[in-house]
Amino acid sequence: MNIPQTPPTDLVATTHRALAQVWIEFESTLVQVPIVARMLAGRWRIEDYRRLLANLRQQVVEGSRWISRAASHFGPEHEELRSLFVEHARAEHRDYRMLEDDFVAVGGQRSEIVSTPKNIGSEALSAFMYHAASQRDPIGLLGAMFIIEGLGNRIAGPWGRMIAEQLSLPDEAVSFFLYHSQNDAHHLEEFDRAVDLAVTDRTAGDGIVRHARIVARLYRLQLEEIDNV
Amino acid sequence: MATAYITASGQFLPGDPVPNERMADHIGLLPEAAERVGRTTLRQNRIRTRHYAMGADGRTDWTVAGMVAEAIRDTLSQAEIEGQAVGYLATATTQNDLMVPGLASQVHAALGLPPMEVASLQSVCASSMMALKSAWLQLRAGEHRAALVGGGEFASRYFRPGFYQGTATLTEGKPLPADAAFLRWTLSDGAAAVLLETRPAARGLSLRIDWLSLRSFADRFDPCMTAGAVDDGSGRLLPWSHHANIGAAAQAGAFQLRQDVAALHRMLPVWLSEFMRLVDEGKIDPQAVDWFCCHYSAHSLREEMIRLATRAGCMIPEERWFSNLSSKGNVGAASIFLILDDLIRGGSLREGHKVLLAVPESGQCIMAYAGLTVVGPEEKRE
Repeated sequence: MNIPQTPPTDLVATTHRALAQVWIEFESTLVQVPIVARMLAGRWRIEDYRRLLANLRQQVVEGSRWISRAASHFGPEHEELRSLFVEHARAEHRDYRMLEDDFVAVGGQRSEIVSTPKNIGSEALSAFMYHAASQRDPIGLLGAMFIIEGLGNRIAGPWGRMIAEQLSLPDEAVSFFLYHSQNDAHHLEEFDRAVDLAVTDRTAGDGIVRHARIVARLYRLQLEEIDNV
Repeated sequence: MATAYITASGQFLPGDPVPNERMADHIGLLPEAAERVGRTTLRQNRIRTRHYAMGADGRTDWTVAGMVAEAIRDTLSQAEIEGQAVGYLATATTQNDLMVPGLASQVHAALGLPPMEVASLQSVCASSMMALKSAWLQLRAGEHRAALVGGGEFASRYFRPGFYQGTATLTEGKPLPADAAFLRWTLSDGAAAVLLETRPAARGLSLRIDWLSLRSFADRFDPCMTAGAVDDGSGRLLPWSHHANIGAAAQAGAFQLRQDVAALHRMLPVWLSEFMRLVDEGKIDPQAVDWFCCHYSAHSLREEMIRLATRAGCMIPEERWFSNLSSKGNVGAASIFLILDDLIRGGSLREGHKVLLAVPESGQCIMAYAGLTVVGPEEKRE
């Protein structure tokens, strides 16, 4: 974890502390979601993995699109944030292909995962992301990024290994999860720098935390609504 | 509402301190292969000495009730009131000597005090804070003017070879499962107590209890430290009493004390999140805490806590942490009172100092914190 050399300002520290609480609440309660609970208990069938991949894919496709839209709504006084969002959108815009490859590697048809509609939770999550990204100077979306990056950095690795183990899959079949666990660490460091830049007043900090809370809830909803399309 | 103060404290630790190399004299030695986890555990928890109520000959004169009663006698020997003036007794332990009745009854009997109100709080480490909170609220509500709170443990009796041999827990030539071995090399015995009154002591320092927060997170964690049950093979805990007969329960290893060490590390962020919540609510000001008394079971957990707290801008500087883990070991429900007693008797407390108690419980995830202020005899009574 990135420990700053100088003590963070109170506002920045308050924001990081609030985000940490949002994350911990999110991560610790994910175990209550039925499909996650069964995975953690080692009771998954291969169909469960295919269902998860198919349900995640449509929202992952949207990821770099809402980030791009958000980037275009940052005014000149937020150049640094715009740059961060642009880089981020570029880095992730083909990630969904890994999901598709994993789906095919475990016996699914590419045409099936491509054509699976968003589930109700993904619809809500995407709708909120585009709504937030369409606002002027959407600083709050850093909170959304915090949750999405946290998923990659803190959850993808353990889940990927757990799935591979209980279903006896090679690493190539869990490439999406393993890739994110190996590559998202520096994203969180970038995120820390972005928060330091963005939190110039209470409103900005509160906005980031609020967006994180909403996205955490909607992401969980997406997992609760697996196959409810 | 009345205010409540800790006006005296005491402890009882059986026998001499036992260094790492003599632990086996008291808890016995399992076959070499079974003991592999022990060395690693000792490296991680950094406990150097502890006390055992189990003698080197495998015999004991002690019970949890007996040790708690001794700790309370020690407390009363420091107090300005007599035991007869105490109206309420709350006890805390992980495993009572008897399944029935509650520990407080046996402690009351051992003390020989007149009829009084009692409460037996049973959980794991956090039972100490449940007992402390119940006593604090009893005094605040005006039910009593003085209350005793005692915590005690006698874990070593469960760690003797005879408690593993012939059970499914111990397979010849194999190491003891990590969940059973971890606690064997971590927990030890003893008791400690505090006296609460609705006024500060007339001489010396008292500790005013300003607030006490305890929350369970069993909504999101499975049992992590257990005794009296064993996994039925499908991930569910089968209580000992649901086995065909008592022999079958014992053979299955239902009576072993177990700790899922990986789950312990998953709980740590949740414990720390509680800390952050209390910072945000204004109950804790990390910069204003003079003594941070945290009951943690291993030094490695302390290091992870520091990492997380620093990141969130709420780290209490390490020089303000007060711990006696390395010399007195992990004594479960007695630990926080042992820490308090050592802090009080250490002579470093000054009027106005802020003391923060922290007691995490891994059982099924509980976190308790309490804020105390050191006051003198002149503390204005409300």
